[in-house]
Amino acid sequence: MGVVKAPFRVRSSGRGTGVLPLLPFFIFTGFFLIWPVIAVTLRSLRGNKNEWTLANYRPILKAGPYFHAFVVSLKLSIVTTVIGSILGAFFAYVIVKYAHGKFGAVIDSISAVFANSGGVPLAFMFIAAFGTEGIVTIVLKKLGWDIYAGHFTIFSFTGVVLVYSFFQIPLMVLIFKPAIAGLRSEWEEASTNLGASHLTYWRRVAIPILTPSFIGAFFLLFAGGFSAYATARALTVGTVPLVPIIIGTLVDGNVVSDQANLGDALAVGMIVVATIAMAGYIWAQRQSAKWRNS
Amino acid sequence: MKRFSLKWPLIIVSSMLAFMIFVVPLYGASVFSFKGVGGKGHSWVNYQWLLHADGFYLNLFTSLKLAVLAGVLNLLLMVPTMVYLNLRGQKFKPLVDFLCILPLIIPVVSLAIGAQVAMPKILQNSQYELVFFFVIIALPYTYRALDTSLQTVALKTLVEASRSLGASWTRTITRVIVPAIRSGITGALFLTFALSIGEYTITSLLHWETFPTWTVVAAQQNILGAIAISVFSFVGAIVLLTAIALFSKKRVQRVEVEE
Repeated sequence: MGVVKAPFRVRSSGRGTGVLPLLPFFIFTGFFLIWPVIAVTLRSLRGNKNEWTLANYRPILKAGPYFHAFVVSLKLSIVTTVIGSILGAFFAYVIVKYAHGKFGAVIDSISAVFANSGGVPLAFMFIAAFGTEGIVTIVLKKLGWDIYAGHFTIFSFTGVVLVYSFFQIPLMVLIFKPAIAGLRSEWEEASTNLGASHLTYWRRVAIPILTPSFIGAFFLLFAGGFSAYATARALTVGTVPLVPIIIGTLVDGNVVSDQANLGDALAVGMIVVATIAMAGYIWAQRQSAKWRNS
Repeated sequence: MKRFSLKWPLIIVSSMLAFMIFVVPLYGASVFSFKGVGGKGHSWVNYQWLLHADGFYLNLFTSLKLAVLAGVLNLLLMVPTMVYLNLRGQKFKPLVDFLCILPLIIPVVSLAIGAQVAMPKILQNSQYELVFFFVIIALPYTYRALDTSLQTVALKTLVEASRSLGASWTRTITRVIVPAIRSGITGALFLTFALSIGEYTITSLLHWETFPTWTVVAAQQNILGAIAISVFSFVGAIVLLTAIALFSKKRVQRVEVEE
């Protein structure tokens, strides 16, 4: 059991708790965040003649290119999340344990850059490293491993997995580090005093405590990987059918559908998937908060 | 005792992994970006191309301008909001917290489509509409940065002291609170700036041209040039963020000494 803390409130009642000072914030988010989501949802329910219909959602739910895109997108985000969360958790542990002071601060900022690197530059960097003429490809070939001997190209599904892992791993480090840093040394001392080995401490204390945070981070990585657009767009130019890319081509008018508002339905479909992931994240957050606050 | 025997194997394994996953691609790209004409030798030719390429300065300037505006707007909106939340508006905190995490939930692609449907024409005809959406995308990060630093200061005491000495609310915020949460403000500002300057999704879906979208177009003419841009922006970001991390660490230490 943790230390019992007295409930602490600054002030939650009395004068001056009006909503007025928060109005700018609510108006801003209402107009630039909530209203666009409502607008796209409403338009996704409109047919070509502006009538109310669910027809735009039909191509997503039956077998075909749009359903397939959701499957590929889900597969991509699950695979990269598994890779990212496991390796990221490992790195986070080593960093918390052994990187302190200035070195720790530098590692923090480098992870922040890498985690937010899911943009255009990343795609070109990986083409340079792992493309057919890429430096890594050439070096590996000299060492006797031709990565292009099979089906691999950097523009394929496996290629995108490789690139996405590059930002998923440091993202996991950023999200998961506080959880590991939050493991109190008293807990380890207590379990050692009670006769537990190092392994038992991990199996019975640390891992159960870290599990909700890990699950939460997993969902966050999943949502991020599912909605990533820029890297895949710059890298594949449509060779891997991902939902965001298809929405992009519909918006640009490169692909014409006989359903005018199909793109809206796809966008709402993505919101639904992301919402489910985030519900998982919030649930996991609550679970881990239980530990921290008790 | 057991942990000591694990220390070096762990550090070595993780360093090697990090080297393979992060350093090798970055190094590979850097080497590539220094390739000479026709892939022979080493030279600065790709970086020189960059400086003379059509639209390089124009788009870099556009991106910088929008990023600065987004950073400023973000602080104007979020600093008073967060101060009020932590001081008096506790009961609204869950709602604001939820609204600030929404940009992580709603895929940016969907938000962009929604913006196309929902924004009035006058806004859609101006590239400055991007500033508002950059602020939205940065919300989850600025909320955390400001909230964390507000919780480390005795906000209520500071405000009461300042108010009882006769300072106005504006003066209290600008002269007392802002200096106290400077690290959070720097963090929020920089995050917004960094996110804005690299933002591609909304920009391209709303058909505006900024530095990242220009890069993708430029890559079709000169892939080596595009790789040079990528390495340039990546290394630039690392150097800048590391400098800021070290700088702000120093500042904290100095404050501690003064106290």
